[in-house]
Amino acid sequence: MRQEATGFSAAVTERQRQPGRAGWLLLSPVILWAVAFVIAPAIIMLVYSFAHRGTLGGVILGFTLENYASVLDPVYLQIVIRSILYAGITTILCLAAGYPVAYLIGRADPRWRNLLLMAVMVPFWTSFLIRTYAWVTILKSEGLLNSLLIQLQLIAEPLEMLYTPGAVVLGLVYTFLPFMILPIYSSVEKLDGALIEAALDLGAGPMRAFSRVIVPLTTPGIAAGVLLVFVPSLGIYAVNDILGGGRVDMIGNIIENQFKGNARNWPFGAALGTTLLISFALVYWFVNQRQRAAEGR
Amino acid sequence: MSRLATHSLGALGAALALLACSDSSAPPPAPPAETPEPAAAEAPAPELTTGELNLFAWSEYVPQSVLEGFSKETGIQVNYETYGSNEEMLAKLMSGASSYDLIQPSEYVVEALVKENLLLPLDKSKIPNLKNIGPEYWKQPHDPDLTYSVPYMQGTVGIIVNTEKVKEPVTGYADVFQDKYKGRIVILDDALEIVTWGLATLGIGPDGVTKENLEKVRPVLAKWLPLVKVYDSDSPKTALLNGDVDLGIAWSGEAAILIKEQPGKFAYALPKEGAHMFIDNLVIPKGAEHVDAALAFIDYILRPDVSRVISEEFPYTNPNLEARKLLSKAEQENPASYPPGNPKLATFRDIGPLAADVDKLFTDLKAKSGS
Amino acid sequence: MKAVGRLLAAWTGFVFLFFYLPIAIMILFSFNQSKLNIVWTGFTFDWYAALWRDAVLVRTLQNSLIVASVTTVLSVVLGTVGGWLLYRYRYRASGLLETFVFLPMIVPEVILGVSLLILFVTIGLQLGYTTIIISHVTFCFPFVMASVQARLAGLDPALEEAALDLGATPAQAFTKVLVPYLMPAIVSGALMSFTLSLDELIVTYFTASASTRTLPLEIFGRVKKGLDPSLNAISTVFILVTVFAVFVTEALRRRNP
Repeated sequence: MRQEATGFSAAVTERQRQPGRAGWLLLSPVILWAVAFVIAPAIIMLVYSFAHRGTLGGVILGFTLENYASVLDPVYLQIVIRSILYAGITTILCLAAGYPVAYLIGRADPRWRNLLLMAVMVPFWTSFLIRTYAWVTILKSEGLLNSLLIQLQLIAEPLEMLYTPGAVVLGLVYTFLPFMILPIYSSVEKLDGALIEAALDLGAGPMRAFSRVIVPLTTPGIAAGVLLVFVPSLGIYAVNDILGGGRVDMIGNIIENQFKGNARNWPFGAALGTTLLISFALVYWFVNQRQRAAEGR
Repeated sequence: MSRLATHSLGALGAALALLACSDSSAPPPAPPAETPEPAAAEAPAPELTTGELNLFAWSEYVPQSVLEGFSKETGIQVNYETYGSNEEMLAKLMSGASSYDLIQPSEYVVEALVKENLLLPLDKSKIPNLKNIGPEYWKQPHDPDLTYSVPYMQGTVGIIVNTEKVKEPVTGYADVFQDKYKGRIVILDDALEIVTWGLATLGIGPDGVTKENLEKVRPVLAKWLPLVKVYDSDSPKTALLNGDVDLGIAWSGEAAILIKEQPGKFAYALPKEGAHMFIDNLVIPKGAEHVDAALAFIDYILRPDVSRVISEEFPYTNPNLEARKLLSKAEQENPASYPPGNPKLATFRDIGPLAADVDKLFTDLKAKSGS
Repeated sequence: MKAVGRLLAAWTGFVFLFFYLPIAIMILFSFNQSKLNIVWTGFTFDWYAALWRDAVLVRTLQNSLIVASVTTVLSVVLGTVGGWLLYRYRYRASGLLETFVFLPMIVPEVILGVSLLILFVTIGLQLGYTTIIISHVTFCFPFVMASVQARLAGLDPALEEAALDLGATPAQAFTKVLVPYLMPAIVSGALMSFTLSLDELIVTYFTASASTRTLPLEIFGRVKKGLDPSLNAISTVFILVTVFAVFVTEALRRRNP
């Protein structure tokens, strides 16, 4: 299993074979699932995005580009940009906060690993509403944190924490941090300790060992974590409502509103969703192609 | 997409229901429906026995004890499914995924559903308790004469003030949105509500939502929204209770809970410019499989003693005059439930495709108002 | 190096504090007298007693657990097999398939919910456990697959080759060599699936029927009346039972490895 970073691509090229009949047969459940429950709904959404608004919600089938024109309306573009910004900040903070934790769990005594992993997830087995309202209790002006800070005489007046953009970011990081920790953990877990030792023995400081050896070897985990945090946080809408006082609308709120708010404009919601989906698919496909090219396929 | 549940499914369901409880003590077998409206001809004939009722209603609006009481008395089992907004309900209803016997839309949705010919006219001979409904509910524009709908609860949208923090009188929308209250206001996260408040200060009622008036109201709202600290439709009382805001505009039910929990601290007033009154109704959608059970349920909740239980748990305005008489003095005098005087009240009307413009206006102003 | 280790431990401790602070609040407020769940007014066990009478809460929790468990099993199977096959073999259009698998992560929940509901109605599938589980697996198994693929990246193919050379069938090579190697990724993928499914609200609203409503749906409905502390109580009970179960399993595992 010992492998140098440079030997990586050579190993990759060898491993892939043409799938036999068994290979296709085994993959067929995944293909069927994707076709039935991803592609079919995606097509429904695509068709709706060109339709006209139905009176009671729903759509009147037809063909119009109006809904896509609305997507490019500055009113909604400003919200798209804001969403990308918040999702980006969330991802960076999750990576910074989660990597050390994932590393520690991954290098911990195997007897403790599963327990530590459970400890990461158990708080998230309560409803997000209960968790998020608990944050309200902590952050409000007469709340726990302010009382504590005043008791410690660090501040004289309560700080305004709840219903601020900062509270929204905190809520997003809280919601998504586990989804950064877990994939990085499974990458760290397979790190060869001898490699790190070797780097240190050869005179590399901990920082150099980290940036030259550990990070490159855990890149797949980092990439997965970024995917699992950035992508879902783009569509979030409830956490920001409760902790941000509903002032920080994101794409998720806009789409939600077209189906469940009084806008009742399904085709526009579908157009926003389709746009989001296509941008994701393009970015993912592009990155994937480049990666394959780099791996020499 | 716009189609209701297929009738064949309905027939199957009815057959199953028959098998499921042939011995239930359901109300007497119904004679064929004798409804005055021609539309009734399209409706499936009511079944002989109705062992089930599929109720699709607002969450936290029908007390468990009422459902149990009804089941105990009639042997009809109630399947209670809930939703959090009218539009959410419409989305599921219109897909035709399940067939519902009774739904609980607000007045402007009743109007839209009637326009689309999606409701069954009610057989009033089966709802003798309908007489308990107050006279003012028999002449609302969304369904005059209550042909299709029976009012369940009525509420208002008004001003809630924390009187310990706000000493000046606050009697209208213009009083709320003042610079000195910047960062101390909570309002509903609801585009149509906010637009109608702005219109009210211009002397235009909620039936005046037009493209031109939306442009007129834009500068008003552009001045208001930067003052708002919290938008919350689900639980606006939270920010008030926590002391993070000092005044706001929200549902009367929220105010009633605040007044009940912390007496003396909160006050509720209907804006003098005119307030929104909403009426949530029980209606039977076309394609309903258990029409008789639905009618029996409507009649059951209209009984004064049953209706009183609902009022106790959900302190909105009860349209049932007989039930009001049974309430305690404190309940009758809760100004959020039964506002004194003769306030200027109006219901929302169905605004059709303009809803999308209203939403866009609000989204834009909110995004520009900071953070 | 010692200093680095201590710093790591301190930071991890801080992150755990961050994770558990709201949970501590939740547990505290499950003993609060006030119905409003906002200010502390006094100690009581009433909310736990109320749980016994609240049949709806218990039933919806049951539904949630059924859905989350089945979803996790299916997601792990699909995600692991899919992740491994796509890594191992060169399929035509595998990049495309991967992209499609990951799409549900970006599709906003309300759109996934509405479009799946329309699909189910079109093919005549009655709403119930099946439809909820299908919808949950659709957005959960990409999480398992991403986790498995991250673990596989850079795996020495010699490992599997060696097993095959030693006479193992491909199936044996998979279960005896690969699955143990993938276990950390499978465990984290399973944990993610379970968590996501247990807490899903929007998609479930569209794909559940009256009798299969899940706990998040019920809790969301109760926000309007103020989150009453019995919700804190049921969550506390649930967490305590889980933690207890985990410790017992671990202890048993250690005694008879």
